[in-house]
Amino acid sequence: MTGEPSPTRNILLAGVGGHGVLALSRIVAEGALAAGFDVRKSEIHGMSQRGGSVLSEVRYGEDVRSPLIPKTAADVFVSLELLEALRHLHRLRPDGVLLVNDQRITPAPTGSGPVDYPEDAVERLRDAGAGARIVPAHDIAVELGEPRATNMVMLGAFAAMTPEIESAVWTRMIETTFRPALRAVNLAAFQRGLELVVEA
Amino acid sequence: MPNPILLSGNEAIAEGALEAGAHFASAYPGTPSTEILETLSRRGGIRSEWAPNEKVAYEAAYGASLGGARALVSMKHVGVNVAADPLFSSSYSGVNAGLVLVSADDPAMHSSQNEQDNRQLARAAKIPVLEPSDSQEAKDFTLRAFEISEQFDTPVMLRVTTRICHSMSPVETERDRNWPKAPLRDYDRDFRKHVLLPANARPRHVFVERRMEELEEYANGERDLNRIEWGDRTVGVITGGVAYQYVREALPDASVLKLGMPHPLPRDLVREFADGVDEIYVVEELDPFIETQVRALGIPAVGKDLFPLTGELNPDLVERGFQLSGNGDLSASDRSENGGPAPSLPVRPPVLCAGCGHRGVFYTLSKLGLIVTGDIGCYTLGALRPLESMDACLCMGASIGMAHGMEAALRAAGDERRVVGVIGDSTFMHSGITGLINTVYNGGSSTVLVLDNGTTAMTGHQDHPGTGVTASGEPGGRVDITALCRAIGIRRVRDVDPYDIGALETALDEELSVDEPSVIICRAACRLVDRTPIAPAVHLDIECPGCGTCFELGCPAIDERDGMAVIDPEVCCGCGLCVQVCPFCGLRIEGHDTAGAV
Repeated sequence: MTGEPSPTRNILLAGVGGHGVLALSRIVAEGALAAGFDVRKSEIHGMSQRGGSVLSEVRYGEDVRSPLIPKTAADVFVSLELLEALRHLHRLRPDGVLLVNDQRITPAPTGSGPVDYPEDAVERLRDAGAGARIVPAHDIAVELGEPRATNMVMLGAFAAMTPEIESAVWTRMIETTFRPALRAVNLAAFQRGLELVVEA
Repeated sequence: MPNPILLSGNEAIAEGALEAGAHFASAYPGTPSTEILETLSRRGGIRSEWAPNEKVAYEAAYGASLGGARALVSMKHVGVNVAADPLFSSSYSGVNAGLVLVSADDPAMHSSQNEQDNRQLARAAKIPVLEPSDSQEAKDFTLRAFEISEQFDTPVMLRVTTRICHSMSPVETERDRNWPKAPLRDYDRDFRKHVLLPANARPRHVFVERRMEELEEYANGERDLNRIEWGDRTVGVITGGVAYQYVREALPDASVLKLGMPHPLPRDLVREFADGVDEIYVVEELDPFIETQVRALGIPAVGKDLFPLTGELNPDLVERGFQLSGNGDLSASDRSENGGPAPSLPVRPPVLCAGCGHRGVFYTLSKLGLIVTGDIGCYTLGALRPLESMDACLCMGASIGMAHGMEAALRAAGDERRVVGVIGDSTFMHSGITGLINTVYNGGSSTVLVLDNGTTAMTGHQDHPGTGVTASGEPGGRVDITALCRAIGIRRVRDVDPYDIGALETALDEELSVDEPSVIICRAACRLVDRTPIAPAVHLDIECPGCGTCFELGCPAIDERDGMAVIDPEVCCGCGLCVQVCPFCGLRIEGHDTAGAV
């Protein structure tokens, strides 16, 4: 471990368009604001629903200025997909925390550039440092009967690694974000993610 | 004041317009501006409209202003080119109630064809520019823009960028408050001001030049809009927009002149600032708009030598620029122990959705080897591998005019190749129709494909005149594309099922062989709007021999494993294109006997 933690917390969130990254980053930003922090969040919309790579950046702290995280200064990197985790891994601080949903989504063949999905993705991510956690979030969400709750399992894992925001803030966010029919399953997903990382 | 709420820049602009009591808003969707009008129509209490294009949107907002109602018009940067004609002249005729034009620029071209800097357009049109640095300022400056507009009798440009539009930060406002409307101003006929005959326009130009002088005086004096933050006097930085935030992070102790109103440049304030510091730097995205004007004052400012002219800035580029100048904190840069991006990872670009009605059209165009002039929309993805069936894509509506001109050139050269124009329904309404009128009028014989998915898909599914539903979700008048084409004199207008490759080939063969203009309309609902399966998912009846033909469709439901096709039943919606192209008839849809008969 090197240096002091930066006064501003830099959270990088990655995934594939249409799989819940933007909903997750929205909750992270709203939760940080509710916990009393100054917040900035930035991402590129546009073609995000059409299966492309999606990256969102959330920063919170006493007084945050730039909506963008300096290139290699992410304190926590949450990825909902293995390949997208590898793609942006270089932006994590050497002593940062990596949380990755153990799921592969094969890109549509583009007919150009490398096409093979990196089979050793999990190993490469584990080698990234002591902070790497591979979370079976998708499996847990499927087990709970709601694959779309994968991102809330990851929110639970994130909450376990960010004690500066009480977990009650996150459960309140889930309660206000989801319609009543989906609250219980998303809360359960969050709880599973929280416990999983606490135990690890 | 209640607790601040998290808003995107676009949402904050909408809140600002509501707080300013605006009565009327018009826009044409375009990333990164779209959510401004969407937020207004969702919030209600203001008349919000989608216009068929930015020129009409501007004219409608100008009319509302003339009639006495505060009006906002929003568009992406290239939309201002379309609206430039009424914009430039309305600078002369001025306003009645406040008129605010939001120009959403896109440095780095995240979703655009160029990265023009619209501060330059405002300067050419001789109107003032406000430029916020976060969501709070986006709201506050919108209010301020209405005031300036009325005080100085001018349209005002609120210039924002993708990083302001699509970033979120806390805003002090009251969530969902119904703000009172601004009082409607009396409308009085004013021939000399509002009818821009040459004799009237000449004195108005004199007025405009005097107005710019008065605005500069205002800009010098309004220290909340243009603010000096004194710090370390060895380094002074002039900046604005999101770049201000990067500067404050890179050099927290430096003296900063933050320009919230970069045009007209407050020259006295710039001189005062320059006199107070040893060195002057200018940090701005895209063009050296401020820098060249500062240097023209004889102040040796440094800007684009250190900070890139192209693309968007970010904290690292700003920090590196200051390091190069000898003022940055060098210790901050040794963070990259994880190295650069991992090499040789497969890319994941956006793709046409599984079941997208555009896919079969581009597959067929590619197969027939036609020259294709394209247009702006999701279907621009047809230019990419593996479909690769688009030769040119320039701007909204250009496909039809380009097809006409290219055909003329190829014929003159004796080149037998044929050209087709491809355009979406919303883009056709925007500015495709005028191109088609040109083809009819000038005796062209182009074939135009209108890909009608019943929405403005790429910007997030906004309605348009062809859908007959207004921005507020109410039933509106509906423009029938077929009837419209016939009315302007196209005799050959036909509908073809875009999921039937054989029918598409036949239609194209027939239309390209006649010597008159023709329109083929391919209707299929956008798959992100209508998610009901077209048919049961396709499955493989035989062991896939791995010929790879179906990969040429570029369908995200077809995965390749060891050279063989694997259909993902979760993603497949049974459009049946792969069934039609499979040469081994190994792909089937349950309940359908013949390949392709979907």
